[in-house]
Amino acid sequence: MKRKIVHPAPSARALSGPNYWRSLDELQGSPGFQAQLEREFPEGASSIDGVDRRNFLKIMAASFALGGVGMAGCRRPETRILPFGKSVEGYIQGLPIYYATAMPLRKSAFPVLAETHQGRPTKIEGNPSYAPYGGGTSLIAQASLLDLYDPDRTTGHYQNGAKIDAAAVNQILSSLNEKYSANQGEGLAFVATESSSPTRARLVRELHKKFPKAIWSEYEPISDEAPLEAAQAVFGKSVKPVYQFGKAKRIVSIDSDFFQSEAGSVFYAREFAKGRRVTSKDDDMNRLYVAESSFTLAGSMADHRLRLASSHMLAFAAALAAKITGDSSYDKLAQGLDIKAGWIEECAADLSNNKGRGLVVAGAHLPAAVHAITYAINASLGNIGSTVEFLEVAETKAKSLASVTAAIAKGSVSSLVILGGNPVFNAPADLAWANAQKSVGEVIRLGYRLDETALLASVNIAEAHYLESWGDARTVDGTIAAIQPMINPLFGGLTEIEVLARILGESETDSHVLVQSTIGKLTDGSSTAFDRFLHDGILADSSYPRVPVEYNGEGLAELVAKAPKHVALSKTNLEVRFAADSKVDDGRFANNGWLQECPDPITKIAWDNAIWISPRLAKDLGITSKGSALQVVRDETEEFEKGKQMARVAEITLDGRTIRGPLHIQPGLSDYTIVIPVGHGRTHAGRVGDNIGFNAYPLRASHAMAFATGATLTLTGERQVLANTQEHWSMEGRDLVREANLSEYRENPGFVKEVGMESESPSDIGPEGEKMTLAQRNSEIPRGNSLYKTPTFDGVHQWGMSIDLNTCIGCNACVVACQSENNIPIVGRDQTIRGRSMHWIRLDRYYSDGKIDGAAFGGAGNHEIPEDPQVSLQPIGCMQCELAPCEMVCPVNATVHDDEGLNVMAYNRCVGTRYCANNCPYKVRRFNYFDWNDKKLDSLYMGPLGEHGMPELVQMAKNPEVTIRMRGVMEKCTYCVQRIENGKIQWKVQATREGRPGDVAVPDGMINSACQQACPTQSIVFGNLLDPKSAVSIAKSREQDYALLGYLNTRPRTTYLARLRNPNPRMPDYKSLPLSRIEHDIKSEGSAEKSAGSEKKEAKS
Amino acid sequence: MSKHFPKSVNRLPLQIIIYLFVISGLATAAVTYYMTPKYTRVGYAPVQPVPYSHAKHVGELGIDCRYCHSNVEKSGFANLPTAQTCMNCHKIIKPNSPLLAVVRKSYETNTPVPWVQIHRVPDFVYFNHSVHIARGVSCVECHGQINQMEVVGEAKSLTMGFCLECHRDPAAHIRPRDQVTNLDWKASSEAEQRKMGEKFVHDWKVNPPQSCSGCHR
Repeated sequence: MKRKIVHPAPSARALSGPNYWRSLDELQGSPGFQAQLEREFPEGASSIDGVDRRNFLKIMAASFALGGVGMAGCRRPETRILPFGKSVEGYIQGLPIYYATAMPLRKSAFPVLAETHQGRPTKIEGNPSYAPYGGGTSLIAQASLLDLYDPDRTTGHYQNGAKIDAAAVNQILSSLNEKYSANQGEGLAFVATESSSPTRARLVRELHKKFPKAIWSEYEPISDEAPLEAAQAVFGKSVKPVYQFGKAKRIVSIDSDFFQSEAGSVFYAREFAKGRRVTSKDDDMNRLYVAESSFTLAGSMADHRLRLASSHMLAFAAALAAKITGDSSYDKLAQGLDIKAGWIEECAADLSNNKGRGLVVAGAHLPAAVHAITYAINASLGNIGSTVEFLEVAETKAKSLASVTAAIAKGSVSSLVILGGNPVFNAPADLAWANAQKSVGEVIRLGYRLDETALLASVNIAEAHYLESWGDARTVDGTIAAIQPMINPLFGGLTEIEVLARILGESETDSHVLVQSTIGKLTDGSSTAFDRFLHDGILADSSYPRVPVEYNGEGLAELVAKAPKHVALSKTNLEVRFAADSKVDDGRFANNGWLQECPDPITKIAWDNAIWISPRLAKDLGITSKGSALQVVRDETEEFEKGKQMARVAEITLDGRTIRGPLHIQPGLSDYTIVIPVGHGRTHAGRVGDNIGFNAYPLRASHAMAFATGATLTLTGERQVLANTQEHWSMEGRDLVREANLSEYRENPGFVKEVGMESESPSDIGPEGEKMTLAQRNSEIPRGNSLYKTPTFDGVHQWGMSIDLNTCIGCNACVVACQSENNIPIVGRDQTIRGRSMHWIRLDRYYSDGKIDGAAFGGAGNHEIPEDPQVSLQPIGCMQCELAPCEMVCPVNATVHDDEGLNVMAYNRCVGTRYCANNCPYKVRRFNYFDWNDKKLDSLYMGPLGEHGMPELVQMAKNPEVTIRMRGVMEKCTYCVQRIENGKIQWKVQATREGRPGDVAVPDGMINSACQQACPTQSIVFGNLLDPKSAVSIAKSREQDYALLGYLNTRPRTTYLARLRNPNPRMPDYKSLPLSRIEHDIKSEGSAEKSAGSEKKEAKS
Repeated sequence: MSKHFPKSVNRLPLQIIIYLFVISGLATAAVTYYMTPKYTRVGYAPVQPVPYSHAKHVGELGIDCRYCHSNVEKSGFANLPTAQTCMNCHKIIKPNSPLLAVVRKSYETNTPVPWVQIHRVPDFVYFNHSVHIARGVSCVECHGQINQMEVVGEAKSLTMGFCLECHRDPAAHIRPRDQVTNLDWKASSEAEQRKMGEKFVHDWKVNPPQSCSGCHR
């Protein structure tokens, strides 16, 4: 007897709402519980004779009570499936579709692939069609997805505070056109950001023709004009340098962080890694010399590092040029340089011995004179044409922000159009831009959010995100990349080219058509060519042309005259280095939770910015606390509240302007340089970015945008806690990151086996295990079983991962890629301070200075924050241990091992005991202390009384392939099990379709974990260990392979390849061992003798 | 010692224990019978907005499952047909039937027909149709004799235990891949099914995941 269950018809909202969801719980807004109850009433009710009110209510009450128990009353919640009315071509529910697009950033763009699920983008990957980047991405490209789903983005167009519609916006723009067509644009001024878009360039040329008297200016707070200016002066051409790091054997970086800050950093990192990777002892390895004032990723990779103030880089470059070219006219520029004798001599000698295979790069922020000298050095060494090439670029005719400000002051600007950017927040302080903007009558701003600049504009037009716009851009070498939308503009935003076209009164204002016409002129104009452009994401052979250049030193004098004068620094005459924050850039990503929460790779501070000071300055100020050096025991509660270091707040005064911020003592800084990352301290960024950190822009003036001298620092006596995720910086002599010099490796390729605890004891896997092949070792468990019965590893694949510490640059792209792929929530500043951040893969950063003695815990060594350390970086995710300590302690068996070697986490079974995290020696398990997704991050402790509900827009960013975890559940890296399972399934389906149903082993390279795919240097290799030809098997068979904490007999599937350093024996700071090895040897051997000698070998056998 | 309690109270502890056992036994039985998916899910056959009859279209007319559920071999989610798929025939056949008014409206206005979902697994379970079809699991194993249903009802409980029954013994449940959508097909005998199933398991290297990672991500 079938019960007829009639669900009430869905509400209008359910039918008209957007079809985002895979499951339709959200659309349930159906009529009330009572109504359902009446319909779902058990037979008993209808058979009651003469239903009277009392009985009826009694039975209702009973049903009500039983209803919650899953019986007749409320059988199951109703969900609906809503297919399309008309079919959509090529759309298969459940399978993602990938589109090629590009993320524009200043004068270059990242070509990316956007993975879309059900019509919305959920993940960004690199576009492998663009060979220089080879499919790698950066931290910022990965995180740019979250900006699309930012709940604080503007949801409409506004005029004087009132919302207006699209028609009104078009009206405003065309009235601009009418007004200024009459007088050739007099009174019209534009402030735009830098862009590499050919379509925008075309429209700007139109603008100059149509409105010749209008002012077109471009402003970026972080700009790299200097290399171009220098090239114009000494080459006489409008060219820019592009470096071929892969061809360089000796690289000198003059304050250049080409791994992260410079444009094209993904290309440079990738190529550098090619020269750095050492697979056998016959391989060549490049050598990196870095002279820098701050501590950057380039500095962490350096074989020789010189701490030098940015304002002294001109002298350094001149000294180097004098030695290399032999031209004594550089000598007077090199005056006042105070560095170790022999450093420059030997460095120059090394470069001169490698003519044509060397490379000298200077940071884009340095004055043009430094670049000109660098070009001279490269020219003299014959590097031009091999390791550095010059590409012809169009000369920029844009004015500066200063000229617009001057025009406004004269009163000659009646309409100001601001395209993107945020000049009220980041303009140089001496321009007083906010007042200038306020004084203009009509200010029209195209912006992504109602930020600081929007508040002072009369009309705010919503801008579309790049993932919802049509456009184009050029990559660092000029290749034209397509920008195509994944989704219709969510809030009706306009693109920049559309706005420009409307102001120009063009007949065609649709961005799609504009781009098509630009590309049409560069190809044969057919739609096939355009389709190919969209498919590949890039236009083949469209890069800037390479041109030969001749160095002409006559232009140098003029540049030197403009450069800042060389001054000696001291604690009362400090140099301030304004650096773009490694995460929020110039402040544009301040509301991006993923970027705010990602710790800076060197300072490990998340959510805040700090004023970095050197340990020498800290000593001079008397603020080095004993506890901050001693890593283990923290007695001084004044210094360490909540177990976290209370940073002192100081005021920095420069040219009469003052800012205040917390001090962070950063080892490795040039003694009297303080580094201030800009981009924080925003007031109108959104719920994530507001009031995080302090604003550094008020200290900056136009004549000294990158660095300035003459600053003073005064302590205010206040304290502030910084959200520092790794305060313990010392390896304490343990073998966490195993390092050796290249020379030692060549003599003794198996040096990793002689370092660390495993060298002191018999092998974990016994003599039989040692004889096994890699595949055998990972499918049987030779010797030393665990208490917990592990499943037999008889799967068709055995997954493993190898991370090459030699090429890992510490860019954090893997961290954010993992967060994006696996729906990892952000926890907010307060919880990060408590150490509860949820990143499944983290980057550990260690300083070593060679000073440690045997009693590291409280002994005499390791008691000073190192002034000039070496840095070792190590990405750590779940090791997927074969004998996992976490599995045997779970009381509910929520974490188990599968037959392919993965340590699996069943979220629905976890009760939140946290014993597994307790037992994990690597501390890679992350616990959901609160419901990070549902509850607002500032009211977590209010529990059910706090605000909850994730905004619908943010829900769209989640990847539907991965469960979203709730409070009380443990999570950790899964080797991207969703990609593994999907890969296996798709392979089986495809093989079956092609008639080979027994072909179940997925070939190498088809399944990539998110971290592997994002890594620009290909340091992370993942694959099947049963396949002896897979990349991971080959990586693990290299001699530098070792397991982290391997002596614990956990048998981790993720192993590391030891780091090699390649120092020059003739350099004055040469040491025969890396500093971390010296510390290790002192601790374990008692003294730092070269441990790779034969004496050691004999002792072992 | 005063006499507060009658003598019968002496038996009270024993009575309480017996009653507790009885009541908990009853409660356990009731819960196990009435509140497990085998009871609550099996037989769920809600009224759909359109009275589509599989018995007519599949059983009588012989339309293959994949004509409408077209992505079942390609993706994890077996889609419901769009109104356009229905109209492929119903533009000509019964074009004015009042029973199809909802479908026609959906096609003309491009708004969805609000079908009620019947077969559902929790959100933390990731079931993939395409791999099951590729490995010879027929629709009938989980969805029952759809080709005989006037109104689709849930035929199996679709609990984890149900899935594991097959995952632990695939040989008993798989069939030649060209018979996957033939819902009436049966092996000639149990022994024959076993023999054929074992052969497929061997030839196709069928190894259904029994570990958590197979379905829970």
